[in-house]
Amino acid sequence: MIEKVKFFLRLTGNNLWQFRTRNLFSVTIICLSFLTVGIFMSLSNNLRDTARELSSNMSVAFYLEPGLSPAASDAIRQEISKPAFVESVKSVTPAEALERFRTSFPELADIVAGLKGNPFPPSLELRVNAKASASKEVVAFVEGMKKRPGVTDVLFNQDWVEKMQGFSRLAGAIGAFLGGILILTSFFIISNVVKLNVFARKNEIEILRMVGGTNLFIRIPFWLEGITLGLLGSLLSLGLLFIVIRLFPVYLGASLGALQELLRFRYPDLTQAIALLCGGAATGFIGSATSVSKFLKV
Amino acid sequence: MIELFHIWKQYQKPYWALSDVTLQIDDGDFYFITGPSGSGKTTLLRTIFREILPTEGQILINGINILKIHDNRIYTLRRTMGIVFQDFRLMFHRTVFDNVAVPLQVVGVGRKEIRRRVFNTLQKVNLHQKMWELPAHLSYGEQQRVAIARAVVNNPEIILADEPTGNLDPELAFEIVTLFKEFNKQGATVIIGSHDRELIRHFGDNILFLQKGKIVGKEAHG
Repeated sequence: MIEKVKFFLRLTGNNLWQFRTRNLFSVTIICLSFLTVGIFMSLSNNLRDTARELSSNMSVAFYLEPGLSPAASDAIRQEISKPAFVESVKSVTPAEALERFRTSFPELADIVAGLKGNPFPPSLELRVNAKASASKEVVAFVEGMKKRPGVTDVLFNQDWVEKMQGFSRLAGAIGAFLGGILILTSFFIISNVVKLNVFARKNEIEILRMVGGTNLFIRIPFWLEGITLGLLGSLLSLGLLFIVIRLFPVYLGASLGALQELLRFRYPDLTQAIALLCGGAATGFIGSATSVSKFLKV
Repeated sequence: MIELFHIWKQYQKPYWALSDVTLQIDDGDFYFITGPSGSGKTTLLRTIFREILPTEGQILINGINILKIHDNRIYTLRRTMGIVFQDFRLMFHRTVFDNVAVPLQVVGVGRKEIRRRVFNTLQKVNLHQKMWELPAHLSYGEQQRVAIARAVVNNPEIILADEPTGNLDPELAFEIVTLFKEFNKQGATVIIGSHDRELIRHFGDNILFLQKGKIVGKEAHG
């Protein structure tokens, strides 16, 4: 058994080397296809993580009517503290809001200094626990509170979370679509390369049949070739993906400005890397198996 | 024992490549099948090798009807036979050793054993010193000896050779058939398709004459 495995591996190695130019071509195509999938996957990873980060820090700001009595303010505070998804509630006075503005936007200090009064209304800041963030329950509650007397406006960052999640899904879908087309292309290329190899080795196949080689014995080297090409292509794409992720911020990062955060790539995790490799191997195997079964009538 | 019963083969109507061929070849026989081009020599050999199926008739090898063997199991039959062609059919990008080792690799013989058997076989055909050369670097006669070594390395019960000397000069042709004769002496049944009268006269124990697919004569000198 071990002898047979060694024999097949040796044979596969020899065959890959014998037709190295066309094999290199198919490895390149597989590599580019999986690199495309990988790039969109890592972009999607980033958007998903950003959406997760946003939703875990989700807060709702309830702006109160200026001059609202402390009793009325307390009543609202008690009301918004009730739901189970509320983690904490914090009162922000107009003075605190002004101070926050000064700290956040130091370049606008002149405008702040020119103000006659404090334009910021008092507010209540509510933190939602991560599990319930952006749930229908929270949205319904916020909508209800908008109509409550004493509350002038509500600021809720749920829209951002939804947008991020949407972008993440879109990036994933584009990746899957483009990657799918390219993987299909590489599947056909492998299939054709193996077909060419089958034709080029027709004489050898004939000899193997003649000396009593089984169908499996004749087919295994072709399958192994397909798997090796697929694995090499996807491994190379993984390497290139790491280089792209590393070099992207260096060359393009700064010029993207505010988009930099959104377009930041994240390294694929181990599961994704293994999935890419397995995808490569599977593409190679299916490509060669269909070709062999179609063109190798043994 | 090889038994052919009323074998008919038609590739294209209305011509018959083989017409009612009935024949019995005993174990250890040395047979020449001869006749002019298109007489059916190759068809007969290919039918015995189960490369083509006859239109009618039965072929028994050691009592087994080889026409009933499923396509997926033909390899079991092929492993008991060795075949040599006029055009050698070698793998020209592989060494002599690799070419001769193939029948052993197919049945999963270990590497050391393969080395031993290939070397011994190449010694018998006097090519052991060119074991690591590519067939393209060998003469026609040597290439045919590689093909013979490949056919016999597995100690087959039956050796079939279709015009094995067709590309060779008379001296080399004698050398090649002498080799077949030696393997025959060691117990293999040898069937050679040839139209070389000189060779047949010299070596022919049993001669089968074919014409237009029909057996038109038999001679036994053994």
